[in-house]
Amino acid sequence: MIRRSSAARIGAMLLVTSALGASLAAAAGELPYRVLHRIPLSGAAPVQALAYGPGGKHLYAAAGAEVLSFQAATGASEAVVKVPGQVAGLAASPDGGGTLYVAVRAPARLFFLGLNPLRVRSSVPIRGGAPSALLYEPAEHALYVESRSGRTVARLDSADGKTVAVTRLQGDLEQMTGDGRGTVYVANAASDAIDVLASGNMKSLGAIPTPDCRAPTGLDLDPVGRRLFVACSNGTALIIDTDMGFAFEQLAVQKATGLRTLFAFHPNGPAGWKGGAFIAGAGPALDAIRMNAFISYTAAGSMPLPGRATALAASPAAGQLSIALAPRDGAAAHAASAADEPRQQAGMQILVLGSSGGAQ
Amino acid sequence: MRGFKKRLRAAGLCAALAVMALPAAHAALAPWSALRGKTVLFVTGGTDSATPNDDARVARHLEQLGFIVHTVDAAAPASDADGAALIVLSSTANPRVLGDKYADTPVPVFTWNTYDYPNLGLTGPVLHKDFEVIDPVQHYPDSFSVLYAYGANLTSQISRAVGLKAQLFGTLYLEPQTAGWGHPGPGGTVIADFKGMADHAAVFTYEREASLADGRIAPARRVGFYLGDDDFHLLTAAYGPAADDPNMRSWAIGLKLFDTALRWAASPPPPLPAYDPSALAARLRDAARGKKVLFVERMDAGEGAEADGHIVAHLRSLGFTVTVADQSDPQTRSRGQDLVMISGTCSKWKLANKYADIAVPVISLEGLMSDTLHFSGYDRYVDYGEHGEEHESDDPAENYLNIVGAWSPMAAGLKPGLVKFATDPGVLKWARPLPDAIVIATLPNEPQERAIFGYPKGARMAGGFIAPARRALLPLDNPTYDELTPQGSALFDAVVLWAVGG
Repeated sequence: MIRRSSAARIGAMLLVTSALGASLAAAAGELPYRVLHRIPLSGAAPVQALAYGPGGKHLYAAAGAEVLSFQAATGASEAVVKVPGQVAGLAASPDGGGTLYVAVRAPARLFFLGLNPLRVRSSVPIRGGAPSALLYEPAEHALYVESRSGRTVARLDSADGKTVAVTRLQGDLEQMTGDGRGTVYVANAASDAIDVLASGNMKSLGAIPTPDCRAPTGLDLDPVGRRLFVACSNGTALIIDTDMGFAFEQLAVQKATGLRTLFAFHPNGPAGWKGGAFIAGAGPALDAIRMNAFISYTAAGSMPLPGRATALAASPAAGQLSIALAPRDGAAAHAASAADEPRQQAGMQILVLGSSGGAQ
Repeated sequence: MRGFKKRLRAAGLCAALAVMALPAAHAALAPWSALRGKTVLFVTGGTDSATPNDDARVARHLEQLGFIVHTVDAAAPASDADGAALIVLSSTANPRVLGDKYADTPVPVFTWNTYDYPNLGLTGPVLHKDFEVIDPVQHYPDSFSVLYAYGANLTSQISRAVGLKAQLFGTLYLEPQTAGWGHPGPGGTVIADFKGMADHAAVFTYEREASLADGRIAPARRVGFYLGDDDFHLLTAAYGPAADDPNMRSWAIGLKLFDTALRWAASPPPPLPAYDPSALAARLRDAARGKKVLFVERMDAGEGAEADGHIVAHLRSLGFTVTVADQSDPQTRSRGQDLVMISGTCSKWKLANKYADIAVPVISLEGLMSDTLHFSGYDRYVDYGEHGEEHESDDPAENYLNIVGAWSPMAAGLKPGLVKFATDPGVLKWARPLPDAIVIATLPNEPQERAIFGYPKGARMAGGFIAPARRALLPLDNPTYDELTPQGSALFDAVVLWAVGG
């Protein structure tokens, strides 16, 4: 029960096929963003998580078992902290003079890092299996840890990491998001639905189907408009009214696996946007959905990416959108090289995008 | 095309067999399983369709419901519908090309082609008066109002299946939208309306053999629905946690209403009653066994007393146990009764509000009590009135009625159209009931003046009153009973049988 638009798809294809040889900034003309920094990463591990610090002055990235920090304004590297295992998720908070939460897969632990300087303060074990994602809800003083392998979502107290409740779900758990007022949503790629959890007790409240949207992986929420932005592997994005569970808008995006969604910049987006949802994954581009009003959204074009996106983060304070990229492999890399992309595709990197003009 | 027609005929045969196999209780609204495999002729604008539109999405939805969908454009011949179980007309089909080609087709029609409503006889012909399409460009403020509709009818098969309530519901999702309304004739049933105005029907139906707005007879079921070209996908529905909230569930019913109305249209209609006064009397005698009737009259009335006596005698001859009460008797006289019949000899002023709220079926032979009994609004000569009463009516005496609800058992099997009700012109009362009433007959040339109608139990009556039991108006002014024609007598029996039947 959804509206379909081909604009984004067409836009994406045009950009990918005709503009990959040009500079990124030029190719990104359709979006009101330009590349502020390209942060090359020396390690071999892709970035699994990105997070901006409070105030947007610092950008944190997790690659392998390392947590790295950068100056958001310049992209300059600041510090590196090692943790005992691969990082699955990051989240930053102003609490405790500035805290970076780090979920480590194995051993499954939550680390508390102080920000000034960046160093491990403490850690606690995580129940429910190896973490695959971390969500911080400051209004609830809660951290949500998802375990794809354990098929669980755990609620932790953000002050001490104590596990409050754990719920077990069926299916393939993907990106999660929350409204900060009692509800957590989890994309379920196996059931073509969004699982809805009561964050207080982590009980299931039901599932919102994603009609025409197969294998949803990307998910983020506009907590003000109460809109869920869902990205699906079959090249479909949905906008769902969470009050009704009703998908009222359907837009075409790239067909790709591992799509992640990020809603940002409400109410003062670039170029008069009231907000935007950004979608990227193993595909060739960053797709954008423009919020015109709470009931009006349009496909706003795409930006070709020189690699597959592994993580997204945004900071309204910094006016930045960051995308962690890793080289594509297999057929995707081959196709990209045919488009004269290899120079830009080399190595792990973080693209930091900022407004190319207009009101912030 | 030949192959398609063969398939259609085969599907039609299957459908006929399925209908025969249906239990009687399902005759009005077939289960989905009985409709699976039936063919729908989906008429769209084809290559001329406006862009964007939801025709492809609708076709897919129909297939998901189990129908075999054959899509044609407006220029396709009406014979394409031969053997189909249902014709679905999209608003994208050009109504000028469609014309009236499906008007006489004995296949149910489900349409949201508002401009085609007059061609099908569903409404009158006048734009903005008989029908209208609201769109955000031409009618921006109203395009918000059509996001809401009112549950006008609580007792139709569709209403019951949807769980429609006498309250607003969300028609389409939250953006100003295009939607159409129609003003069906008295033979139509308004299911939901915009702004609480029954003449702005968002969803309305005609049963087979009901009289259409243009006087023709519906050859099969007809449904008008409020959709526009591209808002099928915005028909409301609640999912996830919202689906567990009864308020949200009863608010977001657009898609359910669409599906149910579609299902009703494709379901086999009930068998048509045959005009057979003897058989009708026999059924009434069966029904009367052990039942009690309170006949309320003005005792010693003078004019009308003889006719009242004859009514009582007739009811007793059928087997009813009849008790006669005076208009001044308390309402408690109705306790333990199975039917209360209010004579036309009663004084409205003296009867006051008695019997309006009793949980016993009521037949009023006096139309002027329509307001006190919640049959209609309170505006005398607007909401109810009379023909032929000296000094009280501008309208001439009348003895004919126009049957518009021939499909109902209350019509006694009489054919649609004029029927001689009484031997000589006299006083005939009428009222304008709410959409929940089943209208059987109007005054001739006065489609808004409904002479015979009934409210089922649970129906929404005037002033928000919910019928605690069946209610009916049968216009028999003081001596008219003695002047009834055989057809008029059959109508009397049929209304009594209906009233005591549920």
